Amino acid sequence: MVINSNINNVKTKTIGEIFSKDPKIICRHVDVFYGDKQAIKDVSIDISSREIISFIGPSGCGKSTFLRCLNRMNDTIDTCKVKGTILLDKDDIYDEKIDVVPLRAKIGMVFQKPNPFPKSIYENVAYGPRIHGLSSSKEELDFIVENSLKDSGLWQEVKDRLNSPGTGLSGGQQQRLCIARAIAVSPEIILMDEPCSALDPIATAKIEELINQLSKNYSIVIVTHSMQQAARISQRTAYFHLGELIEVGETKKIFTRPKDKQTEAYISGRIG
Amino acid sequence: MNNNKPKKLTANEASMIVESSVIKRRKKDARLKTYGRIAIGLAVSFLIFLFVSIFSKGIPGFFQYYVTLDVYLDRDRLDPKGDLSPESLYNGDARSIVLESLYKVINPKGRKEKKAAKKIISTNADVRISKMVLDDPNILGKTIPITFAVDDDIDSFLRGYIKRETPSSERRINDTVIKFVDKLSAENKISYKFSDYILTGSASRSPEIAGIKGAFIGSMLTLAVCFIIAFPLGVATAVYLEEFAPKNRITEIIEVNINNLAAVPSVVFGILGLAIFIGVFGMPRSIPLLGGMVLALMTLPTIIISSRAAIRAVPPSIKDAAYGIGASKLQTIFHHVLPLAMPGMLTGTIIGMAQALGETAPLLMIGMVAFIVDIPGGVTDPGTVLPVQIFMWADFAERMFIQKTSSAIIVLLVFLIFMNAAAVILRKKLERRW
Repeated sequence: MVINSNINNVKTKTIGEIFSKDPKIICRHVDVFYGDKQAIKDVSIDISSREIISFIGPSGCGKSTFLRCLNRMNDTIDTCKVKGTILLDKDDIYDEKIDVVPLRAKIGMVFQKPNPFPKSIYENVAYGPRIHGLSSSKEELDFIVENSLKDSGLWQEVKDRLNSPGTGLSGGQQQRLCIARAIAVSPEIILMDEPCSALDPIATAKIEELINQLSKNYSIVIVTHSMQQAARISQRTAYFHLGELIEVGETKKIFTRPKDKQTEAYISGRIG
Repeated sequence: MNNNKPKKLTANEASMIVESSVIKRRKKDARLKTYGRIAIGLAVSFLIFLFVSIFSKGIPGFFQYYVTLDVYLDRDRLDPKGDLSPESLYNGDARSIVLESLYKVINPKGRKEKKAAKKIISTNADVRISKMVLDDPNILGKTIPITFAVDDDIDSFLRGYIKRETPSSERRINDTVIKFVDKLSAENKISYKFSDYILTGSASRSPEIAGIKGAFIGSMLTLAVCFIIAFPLGVATAVYLEEFAPKNRITEIIEVNINNLAAVPSVVFGILGLAIFIGVFGMPRSIPLLGGMVLALMTLPTIIISSRAAIRAVPPSIKDAAYGIGASKLQTIFHHVLPLAMPGMLTGTIIGMAQALGETAPLLMIGMVAFIVDIPGGVTDPGTVLPVQIFMWADFAERMFIQKTSSAIIVLLVFLIFMNAAAVILRKKLERRW
């Protein structure tokens, strides 16, 4: 894939700093359509390595849709069409030659509702490594499972009952199991679609702490409805409104001195 | 209140109106409840009537009357060639040996009485002796007591269906035969036992030796063929339509037609089978393979519809999870969707198979109504199936076939109950895995 030299020469209405010095994902002029309806309008943004970036905005603003473009989860929706360029390490992920299977192994995803497979805890975590052939022996697989569960902070709680069903865990534990499942295939980026919206404050706190830990090794893109959460955990914040990326920048700046009036209205609670 | 102008009700007035309407509503509720109870009561009483009638007729059908005779198994007469081969035994004189043993008990005098005595024992008696000799040649040359089925008219007489008081000319058996039967009873030679033939015999014109084994095995073979064809095809169709097919005009038309096919009268599938499998492909008639193929056509829509419903019921979050971790479409379907949908698909399939098991009309069209004495050994041997056997027996004139028909219905019902129980157990077992 040839990268045109003017990749950082973008005309955009977005206020703030969309570029990054060390970009992992580069999005340029991304449009998304559901049938005739345009859900995302001309979004350009960089996502850096090892940063936590949160997408905020009122319901229906397209932040989840945009998130699902990054690992091509929108492919499963027939009517959904994506235009524009999304580069992962300078490869266009919407190129015809790109297979979604290795792409999704590189970009893990955690969903709004905890959705463990109706299998054992062990099988939940081992499933990804198994289908991608990441382990050649039982010991290796055990090692991956143990490490993933340790990284997701669940090991101490489940090490004695790895064979009991994953659906028998509490909501917060299930969500951490889903995170363990995502990191078991050693992704580079983790996408999180409102991972705490179905959880109580204690479970939320645990997940947030975990996200913080994980950011040492992974880029994390998190969609959230809670502005406090965005303020607490992310280094950068992007504000979406009606399918457009209104403002993006350092979290501190966005929350203390937003440049755009709509952003200010949203974070001060007047719209959304 | 008489002026037509609407005016605002006070809280008091409103509550009074509500109060009075409440009584009416309660009465309506009570009436509806009563209607429901009456309907259920009627349905249950019909069901009970049905079962009582089938079982009261069918249970005696599993039993029949036998006569026990001391038979001298003459080696030379039974086995003229002396090599114990079935042909030699077939050429032997078993029939007259049996009759001679009978004559010893009842002492018939003259040709007329001997002719009457011949009617007492089933024509199957010589086959029974040949079989015993084949099983154990050591019994040759000895005198041993052997039990034979009595002829169906004698059986009906002993059950009281043929009455002694009826004038001799209107009875199927004459006074001489009755005299002999009385003599046999007096000598304690007649017994009433569980039938050897109903479960192990095959179709026969003589009701006392007719059984359902041939039809039962025919049913099993037909269902096996039906399952082997319909289940994979049905599941594959459902998976394709749910997971791969684009949502356009063509798939819509296919969907509508599958739904319509489920409502097509089964005899139409029989005509289709007759026209295509027999007419175009020239397959032989009356074979379970053909029956299974026709029934597969009939059950396919049921299986497809229930499988699609089962696949649709798999939560999309599970599919998202699988896709999100990088599973391909095929992996997602085989590792997650199908295992979760399997209980529902199996239930639908077994219900479809139960339908197929009870089906008569399409099989009549493809000649499975033929009178076949041999028990089918494979899917390409001519055979018949239980419901068709029942249909045929119900049509026969002999009194004994009425009980046999009910017995065959009981066997069919038990078979069906087993299948449904299997569906429930399978479902429970597969669901417990999660």
